[in-house]
Amino acid sequence: MSEKKWRALDHCDTEKQDAEVLQEGDQEAVTKQDSFEWIIVKDSEDVEVQTTDTQAAVSLQVGIQVAIAVVISLTLGDNDQSKAVVQDLKQFMKTKQRNTQKTVIEGSKHVKVTTTDIDLAVNIQALLQILLAVVAKLDIL
Amino acid sequence: MSDSQKNPKVLSDKIIDLLVSNTFQKNGVNVEKAKQKLSDEQKQMLKDLVTDLTSQVNSFVKEQPSQQKKPK
Repeated sequence: MSEKKWRALDHCDTEKQDAEVLQEGDQEAVTKQDSFEWIIVKDSEDVEVQTTDTQAAVSLQVGIQVAIAVVISLTLGDNDQSKAVVQDLKQFMKTKQRNTQKTVIEGSKHVKVTTTDIDLAVNIQALLQILLAVVAKLDIL
Repeated sequence: MSDSQKNPKVLSDKIIDLLVSNTFQKNGVNVEKAKQKLSDEQKQMLKDLVTDLTSQVNSFVKEQPSQQKKPK
């Protein structure tokens, strides 16, 4: 986490003692994804940059993971068995990813740059496939 | 672009199906019994949720710059 910026509220993260309620939701979906994308434009004109909306992707991922947990918990009940199933599926859903991408445009004119985060897209599609399979197996669709 | 290209499957359905079946089996899940647990209302709700997520994923994947048609 060398790239983590100092924040004035950092002390709140560590000193929080009563965070039990927040923890609950976390059990359902653990996704760690860091994207560091740098695009530096210097001494240039007419530069068009198109990039991936990482934030949207991450919330989509979490949405799918939670949906899987909900389906399992509704059909199997809130017991050890359902927890074990979710746990097992989670092995496949758990993703740790770090993308670092740096793009530097210097002394250029009329440049069009497109950056893509393929990993993210692939990950989301795979997750959705798991959800669809679970749902199909349980005759929901 | 054809539909299949728009929504490429990253993993084969068979593998995913196997993964899910295996997970259920391993944990002794009675699928038939589980199916009956859902009320029609819950089923509809989940169906809507899945449809919604599917369309969100599709539009996200389509929005990816790499998937866009190049004008040139």
